[in-house]
Parts: sequence; structure tokens; C-alpha cells
Amino acid sequence: MVQILDVMKKALEGAPMSEADWQRKLFAPTIRRLVKEHGIKFDPNNPIHSDDSLADDVFEAGFELLLETGVYCTDTSRIISYTEQEIKKALRNAPDKLRVGEGRDRKEFVPRKTEDKTPPWCLLGAAGAACSSDKSFLTLVEGYAEIPETNAITTPAITVAGGMRIRPASPLELYGTIRNAVLAREACNRVGRPGIPIMNSLATAESSISLAAALNPRFGMRSSDGYMIGCLDPMRVDFDRLNKVVLALSCGAPIGMDFAPLLGGYSSGPEGTAISDVAHHLMGVLTYQTSYSIPFPLHLQYISNSSREMLWVINAAGQAISKNTHLLSLSLNYTSAGPCTMMCLCETSASVISAIASGLSIESVGVASNKEEDRTTPVEPRVSAEIAHAVAGMKRTNANDLVKELLAKYESKLSSPPLGKTLYECWDPENRKPSKDYQDVIGAYKKEMAALGVELEPEMY
Amino acid sequence: MTNEQMIKTIRDAVLDYNLDAAVDAIKAAIEDKMPPTDIIENALAPSIREIGDKFGRMEVYLPELVLAADIMNACTAMLMPLLAKEGKESRAPVIVAAVQGDIHDIGKNIVASMLIASGFNVIDMGVDVKTSDLVEKTIESKAKIICASALMSSTIGSQKDIIDFLTALGERDKHVVLVGGGPTSKEWADKIGADGWGPDATSAVRLVEEHSGVRGG
Repeated sequence: MVQILDVMKKALEGAPMSEADWQRKLFAPTIRRLVKEHGIKFDPNNPIHSDDSLADDVFEAGFELLLETGVYCTDTSRIISYTEQEIKKALRNAPDKLRVGEGRDRKEFVPRKTEDKTPPWCLLGAAGAACSSDKSFLTLVEGYAEIPETNAITTPAITVAGGMRIRPASPLELYGTIRNAVLAREACNRVGRPGIPIMNSLATAESSISLAAALNPRFGMRSSDGYMIGCLDPMRVDFDRLNKVVLALSCGAPIGMDFAPLLGGYSSGPEGTAISDVAHHLMGVLTYQTSYSIPFPLHLQYISNSSREMLWVINAAGQAISKNTHLLSLSLNYTSAGPCTMMCLCETSASVISAIASGLSIESVGVASNKEEDRTTPVEPRVSAEIAHAVAGMKRTNANDLVKELLAKYESKLSSPPLGKTLYECWDPENRKPSKDYQDVIGAYKKEMAALGVELEPEMY
Repeated sequence: MTNEQMIKTIRDAVLDYNLDAAVDAIKAAIEDKMPPTDIIENALAPSIREIGDKFGRMEVYLPELVLAADIMNACTAMLMPLLAKEGKESRAPVIVAAVQGDIHDIGKNIVASMLIASGFNVIDMGVDVKTSDLVEKTIESKAKIICASALMSSTIGSQKDIIDFLTALGERDKHVVLVGGGPTSKEWADKIGADGWGPDATSAVRLVEEHSGVRGG
């Protein structure tokens, strides 16, 4: 089985190639050929497909992509190649369940299958969204920890330390990351869920040195949390990311790799993006030694994954993975619209339904493309979790009809989405509730979902 | 072959992303004494613009855009000496980089490719470019415009550093600093004193055109 030192050996001794050549002359043309060879075709009328053979084709193409292109190491300018046997063995040996958290909140995260009634694992929160202050950080994480369906927390990222904007790999980033750890645990303690696992540990740690600093046990991180490492798209790695792998392995903690194949980028269209998504799942098990995967394919223009093509990508790659492997995978969704808008809630619902029907669990949610400070609230992940539980077990054909109804409500607005309101404009931290305006939006959303046949709890707060 | 036929051959080669065919067609046009400005304005520019528009509509993707930029680079290299003989000045280069600390390259690559495809002489400094190196290269290459990309909230501070460095060297007024990337905004650009902000690659190209005098506005 490929271990981290084997990965290093491959990174040091693999075939040399320039990064530009690897991306342009190897990765992009290989994807294009595999789309043709496997006859994979995006069907806009069926963003959630029901074709098991398509799931197999997408999986095989993803497998072949990894086999043919390998993974590019930007620090050695060499290709980390894997044999067919190495990939198959890694898939066989990958964890088929994960116990994370402590005490009452120690739970088992298990893989799901297409149309599976098994409740999805709900990793809820901000997915690393920028957060301007300790106050807003605590408000958000307390809100996430209070959601009944929360199995694990995905925290925001702190952007300011000591009154200064954080700089990468600087003392400011180290202090920001330490505060990320301390405040996240404090927020969970405050609402009576001290054992809940933090599974995007740690969003503020862009560099490995920051992660290392914050792993001092006095700051509260545990080996029962999940350590997240971001993959360089497409299918690249550097020493700093491998350093994080070594750090997490040395703590005995499970590693999650998040990756964002870009529709419109080197993967080209929806078909290539789905293939790339699958290949990233596989390369993560080997290169990043992952226990769980966090795919978040994104549309290059919308920087979200709620468009018709992106729902197909989430679903096609998800079905490929859940039908052909036992990998633990959490689909992370991004909306274009912001909090306190109907569009945002419809977008997150569509992406979550697409993931759940395909057999994935969820990480939710990156709001308003996850790029504005404090433009996220505890409501959006809560709605996502509620809809995820409500549609578990739904037939793919029904899920397909449902997302088409949702698409009709927002598809035309994706290029100029409403940004909605900021955290404290629509969330009351004292009463731990959304504002009256937001409650009205939630009520209207639930009525619309009921009209589409999905009954949700009438009172959320 | 008539001029119209030669122009069509070049355009077809570019739209087919065929570098060799485009180079051969340009060679033939040069041998046939077609003015280089005609080759650029009537053959290369319209076809490249068409590819850019297709990219904007997501009908083609980054690999095609990169191929188009490669073709434009190769063709421009052939035509530049002839333009110089005609007394046409080449445009000042545009510096494109992902700022210090930022290793995200796709947005920066798209902007660089679209600028090259639009006929700009681009110096792509890559990712995680040290601010002092970027400023040094800007001055040394006589570049007028800097496009600085940052994809993380922790790296946008490096965009401000570029402006601080230029100011400290007394060079601020000689250069246009354009910023972009996910966590940036018009407000951020205004706050740090940048000359422009673009939410996407298309607007970045438009800003460069405006500031280089190619387009009014």
C-alpha cells in the first residue's frame, strides 16, 4: 500500500515535466479523449440521471485519468505516478467508516449508496468563509453547533489577527489559526456540544506551519477531529500540502482533502469536470492519504455549484464514486446568492438534493460564493441539513424532477445573484435566531418546498 | 491566393486551434507582402476575439483559450520585426502575477491568456511572486500596467504592498495597478488605492484596454 514516504519517493523520482506542459499537453487532452472514448454526455434535461452504466463510465474514465496523468508535484516538477494495482489496493484499503468526535457527539460516518435511506453525514458551517472578528466567529460556530442535524463543524476562517490582516505563513496566520482552534472549541462548549468534531481543521491554516502551531494540545484540537487539506486544482500537490499530511498522520487524525474541479478550467465542460472529480477522489486516497473526500466542483463564472451543469457534475461524479467504491465523500456546495434570499435557499437545496440522491453526504455551505466577509449565517447550513435528511432515500427520477423545479426559480439569476444581507443584519445572536425578515423568507421557502412535495418542519427557530 | 483567401486561411487555422497551420499561413501572407497590420487587424484579431467571446459564453474552455494565446504569441513574434520596420511601436508589456503568498494560478492564467489573445505583450510572472521582484520587473521592463491576482483573504494584503512599494520608489504615477481575485472588491481596490478592479477575466482585459488607451473610457 502506498504510504506517505512512497509518495515522497515518487515526487522525487517521477518523470520530470514542466507544469504548463503537464496541464496543457497531458491533463487537458487526456480528459478530452476520455470523455469521447467513454461516450460521456451531459444531459441538460436530466441534471440528476438514473443511468447506472453512466456512473460506471464516469468512474472508469476517472480511474484512467489518474493512471495516465498521475499527480503533479509543483515543488519537484515531477509526476507522481500510480500503477493500476496501487490505485485498486488503495481503494480496497480506504476507510469504509470513520468514528469522529467525543462523548455524546462521537458518531460513525458511513458511506451511502445511490437513493440510500441512510441519513447523510452533515458537516455544517461556513466552509472556511472569511470572518471579520472573534465575535462573528463565535456567533456562527455556536449557531452551527446548535443545529440538531450537525454531525461535525466546518468553521469560518479568521482574517485578522492583532488588528492586522493576516498574511500567509506569517506569525499573523499562526495566531489566527490558533484562535481558530480555541474559539471553535469554545463555541461548541458554550452550547453544550463539547465533543462535536471539527472536520475542516483548520480553515485559517493555509500553511503547514500554521497548522503545526495550532495542533499544540492546549489549543483544543483532537485526533478525533478531521484535518482538512486543500488540493491544488487540477490534481497537483506541493511540499507544504505533504507537510500537512505528515502532521495529520503524526497526530493519528483522519485527513480530508477538499478539491474544486473547475467547469471551464483545464477539465473543460461538465463531462470532463465529473471525470476530474472522480480522479481527485482517487488521488486523495493515495497522495493525501485521505480518510474522507470533500469535492466542491465549481462553475468558473458563477463560482458556485447550483447551476444545471454543476448539479449534473455533483450527481454524475457522486454516483460514480458511491456505486464503485466505499469512499466517504462529502459534497460541499456553494451558492451564488447570499443570506436572507429565497434564491440562496433554493440553490443550496438543489445542490444538496443532487448530492444526496447520488449517494454522497454533505458539507454545507459556502454562501455567496464564499468570498465576502461575514456574509453567511447559521440558517443556510440548517436548511441544507433539513433538506438532506428529508430527501434521503428519494428515487433519482423524483429528485431530478425536484431540482428542475428549483432550477426554474433561480437559474436565470445566476449571473447577477442577490447578495442578500450580512450576518448581523439577519441573525440575532442574543436570541440565537434569524431576524423577522429572514424568518419570513424561510417560511416562504418551506411553503414552496411543500408545494413541491417536500414537507419540512414548519418551525425551524 | 487573394488577400481575402489568405485572411480566411489564417482565421480558419486560429479557430481550429492549429498552431502549425496558423504559422504557415502567416508565413505565406508575409511572403506575399501582405502588410503586417492587415494580418493582425483582419485575420488574427477577429478570430482571437471570437474565441474570447466563446469563452465568455462557456462554449470553449481554458485549454482552447491557452491554445489561442500560444498561437497569438507565435504569430506576434513573427510580425513584430515587420511592424518595427514600419515604424509601429510595440505596446508596453503588461505584468500579470498572483501576489506574494498566493499559489492559485487558474484565474491568473485566464487573464494572461485573454490579454495575450487580445494582442498584449504579457509578462506572466507566475504565482507567489515576491512583491519586490514584481515591482523590479515592472520598472525594468517599462511595463505600464500590473494585473495582480489574489485568491485568498490572507493574500490580498500583498496587493496593497505593490502600491506601497511603487509609492516608496517614486514610481506610483507611472504605473497602473489593477487588482482582482475572489475575496477582492471595488471597495478593497479603492481602499488600497488601486487603479481598477475586475470581477472576472473579461473585465480585467477591458480595464487593461482602457488604461492602455486601446479603448476609450
